[in-house]
Amino acid sequence: MIEVLNLRKTFHDRKKGDIPAVRDISFSCSPGRVFGLLGRNGAGKTTTLRMLATILAPTSGTARIDGLDVNERPGEVRKRIGYLSGDTKLYDRLTGRELLTYFGELAGMSAPSIAGRITELQISFGLRDFLDKRVGKMSTGMKQRLSLARVVLHDPPVLIFDEPTSGLDVMGAREVLRIVQDLRSKGRTIVFSTHIMTEAERICDEIAIIERGSILAQGSVDSLRRGNGGGSLEDVFVQTVGEVASDA
Amino acid sequence: MRDGRTIIAVFVVPLVLYPGLMLFMGWIESQNKKEERALRVRVGIVREAELPTLRPRLESLEGVSTVALDRAPASMEAAGVDAVLVLPPAIEQSIARGDSVKVELLYKDADHKSSAADERMKPVLDDVRRALTVIWARSRGAQADAAPAMSVEHRDISSKAETGRYMAALIIPYILVFMVAAGSMHIAIDVTAGEKERSTLETLLATSTSRGELVLGKCMAVIATALTAGIIGIFGLWFNFTVLASLMPALSSQSIQFSILPEQARFILLTILPTAIFLSAALVALGCFARSMREGQTYSTYVYMASVFLGLGSFRQLGTPPLQRFAIPILNTALLQREILTGTVVPVHAAVALGTSAAMAAIMFVIATRLFSNESVLFRT
Repeated sequence: MIEVLNLRKTFHDRKKGDIPAVRDISFSCSPGRVFGLLGRNGAGKTTTLRMLATILAPTSGTARIDGLDVNERPGEVRKRIGYLSGDTKLYDRLTGRELLTYFGELAGMSAPSIAGRITELQISFGLRDFLDKRVGKMSTGMKQRLSLARVVLHDPPVLIFDEPTSGLDVMGAREVLRIVQDLRSKGRTIVFSTHIMTEAERICDEIAIIERGSILAQGSVDSLRRGNGGGSLEDVFVQTVGEVASDA
Repeated sequence: MRDGRTIIAVFVVPLVLYPGLMLFMGWIESQNKKEERALRVRVGIVREAELPTLRPRLESLEGVSTVALDRAPASMEAAGVDAVLVLPPAIEQSIARGDSVKVELLYKDADHKSSAADERMKPVLDDVRRALTVIWARSRGAQADAAPAMSVEHRDISSKAETGRYMAALIIPYILVFMVAAGSMHIAIDVTAGEKERSTLETLLATSTSRGELVLGKCMAVIATALTAGIIGIFGLWFNFTVLASLMPALSSQSIQFSILPEQARFILLTILPTAIFLSAALVALGCFARSMREGQTYSTYVYMASVFLGLGSFRQLGTPPLQRFAIPILNTALLQREILTGTVVPVHAAVALGTSAAMAAIMFVIATRLFSNESVLFRT
């Protein structure tokens, strides 16, 4: 379960002063559901997800992961989450197996449980052919499958995906979305950010359209469509974000 | 171990590059000496009749031939000589009168053949001096056929083992500091600024491992590399001076018994540990602060240079250093190692050196952890 209440993040720049990146956003997501953050580049999606992953500390507001406050118990929160960003890379010098073992150890798993989990994941994520290959020699699609395996290695109940299909071709992106849907069916709580409408329509149970750090609209894909005269999600997005952009 | 640059810094440089360079320099030196011995030089003598024994004495030298000249030539090249000895006129009469006389040896320092001729004639000039002394003594009524043969011979009676110990005490502290700094700088920046640049940092920060544990892990990796570099560096020196030099006849003069007793080796490793921790934590802190690998490498170069200069301080230290110097990180370790190797350890020096290094290491570790926990530092652009 994820509960976000009035979450705010302000960065300070010596020349520009305070820069609000996220402004008092609130949402929640239950197990077995995917919550989508839909927004343009720089809208505040990554900052929001980094706060949920305890990489950044909120300026104000609260976020609870599995009932644990990200500010008060960041270490415990990290045990319960898997975080994947489209921008983040893996260690090129390690093989896939070494990489998974390394992150398993960082998650506090024992050697036998890591080995057992790797055996499971190499089947469900299709890693068998390249698990012992160096990451630097893998294709982008292989790396992304390995990244997904890393995220779920310690079997966290909450998964945070920040534009996980970024840079992937159509087949790679479809594979990622299939895995996300599979994880949802297994009862994981998932937050998924994207700027691709079709992805959001396909996998998100609920969507928040975020622009300039604020949530402008929130609801299921159908309810958002209905509220905007029955157009496509892209129409809804353009209309919602366009109003704010033209106000600026 | 799969990072080529670290492997080069830790293994290839101390085991291959430095010994190779030293052997190459030694080989060049021995070749130079061999070539110098093979040189044939021609010496012109002006007024050779003034000292009839001079010419045969010069010609008895290996590779030296002489030619009589009327006067000093304007050009040695044109006269076909490499050096010219100019004897003054009426030399015997001048000496008998008690006048001072001057024998000139003309040569060119910039011309290696000419300077070799000068070098080769030095013992003969001693003979000239003695001959002139005899002339002077006779003029004073002494019954002298030859001047007293007195010379001062500088003979080094140190054994190879003693020379080895002295060299070890001189070189090892400096080389260790140098190797530890060189071995730690690349990896320290790679595991910090490199993580930022390769976009692997965020993944690491989202794991359940605490920031302090992550910094500790990074420092341990750097310390292990730094210590390995130091140990390999010492091994490289020993291998170079003791094994390779004795195997190559041309370099046998360079071979020394570069030995360290086991208990000395243990103490040296003990002393290098806090310094390795200090240097590693300092470099990790700088790497955390740096925005990119390039920025980190610039910072680490300054640390490396500072380490090298502090290490050099021990090289130049004569006698017992004052206590305050044992409070200066890096220099204190080098000075203490020197005391260990010469068997002159002062307990208070050891306590101050180890205490200061350990305290500095702890401070640097805290700074590194704080920087690594500070999002405005980690994500600054």
